[in-house]
Amino acid sequence: MKDLLWLIVALPFAGALILTIFGKRSPRLVSAFIGVGSVSLAAIITILLGIGFMSHNPTGIPYHQLLWQWMDVDGLSLNIAFNLDSVSLTFIFVITFVGALIHLYSAQFMWKEEEGFARFFIFMNLFIGFMLILVLADNMLLLYLGWEGVGLCSYLLIGFWYKDPANGYAARKAFIVTRIGDFTMAIGLFILFTTYHTLNIKDILAAAPSTWAVGSGIALTTALLLLGGAIGKSAQLPLQTWLPDAMAGPSPVSALIHSATMVTAGVYLIARMHVLFELAPIAQHIIAIIGAITLLVAGMAALNQYDIKKVLAYSTISQIGYMFVALGVGAWSAAIFHFMIHAFFKSLLFLGAGAVILVMNDEHNMFKMGGLWKKLPVTFWTFLIAASSLTALPLLTAGFYSKDKILWLAYSSDKGSVWLWLAGLAGAFITALYTFRMVFITFFGKAKMEPTSRPGIFITIPLIILSILSFAGGFIELPGDMGHVTLLSDFIQKTMPAVMVQQSGYRIELIFQVIAAIVAIGGVWLAYIFYFNKQFDPAELKQNGLQRFFYKGWDFDLLYDKVFVTPMVFLARINKNDFIDQFYTSLASFTRLLHKGLSATQNGKLRWYATAIAIGAIVILTIIFYL
Amino acid sequence: MSIQDIISLLPMILLAGGMLLTMILIAAKRSHIVAFISTLVIFTISFVAIFFIIATTPHLIGELFIIDRFGLYYQGLILIAAFVITIFSYISLKKFFPNKRKEEYYLLLMLATLGAAMVVISTHFISFFVSLEILTVSLYTLISYYREREKAIEAGLKYLVLAAMSSSFLLFGMALIYTISGTMSFSSLSILSSNVTIDATIMLVAGIVMMVVGIGFKLALVPFHMWAPDVYEGASSPVTSFIATVSKGAVVAVLLRFFIMADLYRYEKIMLVFTIIAIVTMLIGNLLALMQNNVKRILAYSSIAHLGYLLVAFIAGKAMGVEAATFYITIYVVTILGAFGIITLVSQSDNEAADIENYKSLFWRKPLLATAFTVFLLSLAGIPLTAGFMGKYFLLAAGLGKGEWALAFTLVISSVIGLYYYLRVIVTMMKQDEDTAIVGTAPVFSVIGISLVTILGILIVAIGVCPQWLVNVVSKL
Amino acid sequence: MILVWLILLLIGCGFLAWLTGRWSDILPRVISLTGVFIQLIIIVSLLLEHKQGSQWIISYAHAWIPFFGIQIKVAADGLSLLMLLLTSFLGLLSILVSWKEINKKVGFFHFNLMFVLAGITGVFISLDLFLFYFSWEVMLIPMYFLISIWGNEKRTYAAYKFFLFTQASGLLMFLSILGLYFIHGHNTGTYTFDYEQLLGTKMSTQTAFILMLGFVIAFIVKLSTVPFHSWLPDAHTQAPTAGSVILAGLLLKTGAYGLIRFVLPLFPQASHQFAPIAMTLGVISILYGAKLAFAQTDLKRLIAYISVSHMGFILLGIYAFNEIAMQGVVMQMIAHGISTGALFIIAGALHERIHTRDMEQMGGLWTKVPKMGALALIFIMGSLGLPGLGNFIAEILILIGSFFADKALTIIATLGLIASTIYALRIMQKVFYGKEEKKWVIADLGFREMAIMLSLTIVIIWLGLFPNCILKVSKSPVQKIIESTNRVFDVQENVVSQRIIIKN
Repeated sequence: MKDLLWLIVALPFAGALILTIFGKRSPRLVSAFIGVGSVSLAAIITILLGIGFMSHNPTGIPYHQLLWQWMDVDGLSLNIAFNLDSVSLTFIFVITFVGALIHLYSAQFMWKEEEGFARFFIFMNLFIGFMLILVLADNMLLLYLGWEGVGLCSYLLIGFWYKDPANGYAARKAFIVTRIGDFTMAIGLFILFTTYHTLNIKDILAAAPSTWAVGSGIALTTALLLLGGAIGKSAQLPLQTWLPDAMAGPSPVSALIHSATMVTAGVYLIARMHVLFELAPIAQHIIAIIGAITLLVAGMAALNQYDIKKVLAYSTISQIGYMFVALGVGAWSAAIFHFMIHAFFKSLLFLGAGAVILVMNDEHNMFKMGGLWKKLPVTFWTFLIAASSLTALPLLTAGFYSKDKILWLAYSSDKGSVWLWLAGLAGAFITALYTFRMVFITFFGKAKMEPTSRPGIFITIPLIILSILSFAGGFIELPGDMGHVTLLSDFIQKTMPAVMVQQSGYRIELIFQVIAAIVAIGGVWLAYIFYFNKQFDPAELKQNGLQRFFYKGWDFDLLYDKVFVTPMVFLARINKNDFIDQFYTSLASFTRLLHKGLSATQNGKLRWYATAIAIGAIVILTIIFYL
Repeated sequence: MSIQDIISLLPMILLAGGMLLTMILIAAKRSHIVAFISTLVIFTISFVAIFFIIATTPHLIGELFIIDRFGLYYQGLILIAAFVITIFSYISLKKFFPNKRKEEYYLLLMLATLGAAMVVISTHFISFFVSLEILTVSLYTLISYYREREKAIEAGLKYLVLAAMSSSFLLFGMALIYTISGTMSFSSLSILSSNVTIDATIMLVAGIVMMVVGIGFKLALVPFHMWAPDVYEGASSPVTSFIATVSKGAVVAVLLRFFIMADLYRYEKIMLVFTIIAIVTMLIGNLLALMQNNVKRILAYSSIAHLGYLLVAFIAGKAMGVEAATFYITIYVVTILGAFGIITLVSQSDNEAADIENYKSLFWRKPLLATAFTVFLLSLAGIPLTAGFMGKYFLLAAGLGKGEWALAFTLVISSVIGLYYYLRVIVTMMKQDEDTAIVGTAPVFSVIGISLVTILGILIVAIGVCPQWLVNVVSKL
Repeated sequence: MILVWLILLLIGCGFLAWLTGRWSDILPRVISLTGVFIQLIIIVSLLLEHKQGSQWIISYAHAWIPFFGIQIKVAADGLSLLMLLLTSFLGLLSILVSWKEINKKVGFFHFNLMFVLAGITGVFISLDLFLFYFSWEVMLIPMYFLISIWGNEKRTYAAYKFFLFTQASGLLMFLSILGLYFIHGHNTGTYTFDYEQLLGTKMSTQTAFILMLGFVIAFIVKLSTVPFHSWLPDAHTQAPTAGSVILAGLLLKTGAYGLIRFVLPLFPQASHQFAPIAMTLGVISILYGAKLAFAQTDLKRLIAYISVSHMGFILLGIYAFNEIAMQGVVMQMIAHGISTGALFIIAGALHERIHTRDMEQMGGLWTKVPKMGALALIFIMGSLGLPGLGNFIAEILILIGSFFADKALTIIATLGLIASTIYALRIMQKVFYGKEEKKWVIADLGFREMAIMLSLTIVIIWLGLFPNCILKVSKSPVQKIIESTNRVFDVQENVVSQRIIIKN
């Protein structure tokens, strides 16, 4: 069974290839079948593989599969090889499973796309493939390959509706901003290679502690450089600006790439290279702080959006902020737990929003919707479940357990602090507020628009499955005071060290949970007061300066535009045709000038010629006698 | 005057005798074709004659002449050139002067050739000067032979005056040298100077410089070059090519002989003068041609520049210089003959196809001619696959072998400048024929002419690809 | 001898094409196609039977001008074979590309094409410096004709510029060659242009440096390194598609090849002195080229500046003096040849269809020509160094290698990754995305064009996934060159330490 690992990666690519060759000619049904089929097959294999993996080796020995030697140059020898351990297994499970659901959803969602239908599935399959490579890679360069590959697919899918230049620009922005992160990551790779003469992750992690002292400068540098890459991909401050624009893509894309999988690649990278980060405590603190700030900033931004997808986008940024906090305090398993749960409920939210947008014929503005709960019951209930999971409503929802774990560890782990916890708490409050603001405005109140239709069967099925997961999913990991189930963390800890908890004791933990619960419910209650069944006229929604500032995502775009984009464009324009070239041109014209001057002597006058000869003779004589 | 002397001078004698014969022929019956044929025959015979006397080289005839392989080689070159020129002259005469008296032209041509052929073997001021004058005087008339053409007379006159002037310089120089050394033969000059006083040496050097002026004029070296474009433009292409090839070749030969036999390389100052002359000649020659629109003037300037290049080898001197110079002049002669041949063939009216416009889109009208012309121009520019490249390489090798980096560098720079105007002509020929700016009717092409040009072109490429045989010939002189 | 035949074959086909061109337009195409195809087959077979480690796989020497110790000495090792492979492959494509594009003077066109290829082949295999210079020059004239006859509107100017730049620099190199020739002659008494004999010629550091400069200038002008790059945009833009492909794909590479094959081994010490300058120039080219590329509105001009930027990587890699970087350089030569060639072909195809290269006029073409768009996407991604494609392997190897040599410069060079993203995506944005500026009525790629582009696509992906096939071949020659370059220099411990770092 294990030997089928390569197949999981190969299947999506194969699907993409087939669609590229025959996609144009074959009817949409076939394309859909190939696209969905290949990914679903991958998902099934993954699950079987996972069961096998968990049952057959309790100690969780990583399984390594070598496909072929990639390159071998003077010490730099790399393979195309996959490495399956508990972490990557968790990730590929989420990727393939959620991916398959979203593919299914898309088959109906994108149906109206005549020409782009095949193209959509090609890109989606490619994405799945690259994402799998990313998480399965056994060496940094192969990981980098997947890393860039998903970037490409994200670019292509954001710009899927390429006819509108705005989408194109959004796509380009996403690519370039993430590439800035990749730049630092690349330098990180160089340092790693120059020190360890290998890029195999296992070897690096093995060698690192003996090579670099804890807190040594080089370790810190490397960690920060890698962190740069992670920040870019995971849309954390200060490189978060691309994600909100990325909503230009179709909703399934947002669900799959910009919430569930790709944006969490940063989390994966840090978790994967945890040894390095543990060698650089400062770097880890920085991660935590970035996470904390991001989750607040994004939360405030989410609170002031009209576009339902924009709300979700900022919410994603802020949720990843939570994961970064977890990573920052060394709670690896907590981060991955939250990644998984977040993948479920956030993709569900996006899919739900997508369904709404679809039936409201491409209306994104929440304030123009309303009262949909009667008309779209399935969508509503699933959306509600996801929302409450995001809000982390206590006991029932999965989000509660995952987020609570992070909040608790943010305080209690050896690297944690009360400030991180407070930030997380504030974030939780804001989350609750904006989430239910969204829910109330969209689904309650007076209906302003009639949905054109009910979402079809293939759209609702994934919604339902995901909704089950996003509350049942939490029970695999229960806190110490209630049941103390630690399936996932045990599983993860086969690969990664457990978090160092310094002050434990169920009583404190319980207090914390109660506070968290109260905060969340308080948020919901506040949202209820402000937004439930209130009449908003989308026409005269006015925001004060601060709100506009938040609405604009704290005006980061403006800043970057002023600081980087404008000067560069200016530079490019002033020197469009290359001042160096001018030099050569002037050289040529100088020669021409000489020619003109000399030609003047050729005036055809005999006496002048004669004189010239005489002068010449004299000059030569003077040279002879006086030199 | 022993019998051996007579034999050694056989080529010259045949030439002279043949000339008289032709004169009688003409007197008997005026016929262009007859004169033409007889000229060709005579050239051929005297060329063949050379091979009979190679065995007896070197042979001295008093102090006046020396018949050695070097001299014979140049004579051969001159005769071949003259032969080719005769054919082109026939074409152009026939084309542009159907009803004029053309026969005397050939006499003058032969006379000039005779003069040139004698220059290259002379080893004495007297013989040198006399033969040089024979060459020059017959050139005056040749240049202005086509008197109907405007410019022809003017060109002739200019040449007359300036040549006379330069000759006087030459004579004066000889006189000065004679007053110091009391000898007029090249070889005996090399012996003295050990036993002469300082200011005597100065006089001597001054004399040499005077001669240099005279010779510089004949070779059209800067600053004695100004006559060249006007005369080239004024004279008809065959005559022009005669000036460019035969007369210059002869003078180069005698210059080499003079400097080596009299061993003037010991006077650094003179070498310095030559270095300066070489540098300015290379640069100015090319710069003058840069934007020229008149092909004949372009060739005039380029020939100025080329003589400048040649000086590099000349200055290199005994080491490899002689071989290099000879090799180069040979290639140069072949190329120039071809180039002017093309001009003759392309011309349609007696004011010849001088303007660059006449060559527009020639490549698509007459591919063969255009290709040949391209080859010649590239050879002049010194591009590989053509002989010109090998020649230039030979020059550079000679120059650098002597360590003349400055000269070599100038050569490179100036030849890059030169590239521009050669390419300009080529580009014009390549121009698409959307607007055919061809004046008059399509040119009359003579089969012989074309085939001749083709042969020359092939020769250029052949030397360019495998120059070894020519190198061997030259290096054995 | 087989190598000599390669050249003769091309020349022969060239002449034949010219002659037959008088009667038909198809014949020249077919003849030259077969000619190059045969060459391709020969080279492939050579590659297959070639086992690595051996220094010169095949060599042939014959006296040419004994008087000067000039001989026809040709030989091939892994490196040259790879270059030859590239030559014949791109040669084949450039003939196919011009199948429909070139309609006037077809015969003469192919004559020139064949001659360029012959010259390039000569450059890649000649081991006699005179012969090398000879072929170096031989490829210029026909290229000049290609540009100035079949080029676009400003062809004459571009042709002049190209010719004067290359010729001037070439002559400087010729002077250096002669200088080397005489110095070696004076030292040993044997005057020869034989590369292997000239290796390790004793001379003062001063002289060595000056002579090396002669070579280097010639090569970096060809490599279009800033500030000697300004001939390239014009030449590439004005040349017909085939011309651009050969210019970008092959002519630039001759410069890199020259540096690797001649400069480093002949002047090891001087090269080490020169390295900092060279690497800096490389980095400047990377960024400056990228900046200019971003500014352009003319599609072909943009691609041309991309070449400038990519060639910067090559310079950086060569002067890092270690195997990783050098292997990267080899990779870059091939990958860039493929990717840029492909981009030029696409630009040409567009130009054929809509008769403009101005990107402002384009836009929204994906709807019209999806195939072209998809293929363009691949090569745009290639040129921004997307992993999985050949260019990535090249660039990453170069960067890793040069990181050993000079950290700061490498980091700046790595900024090229971002810069390349910016300019490359601009093509996508302006040409294929967005609204249609004009209502073009154009056909998508036809069968012939698809065949060309697909072959290129396969190659670029293959290079990206199985680079080892290339790297294995070039391994031993590269190692040899690196050794010979660093051996002389081992006194300098910094280099030594680098070597050790990489080796262990």
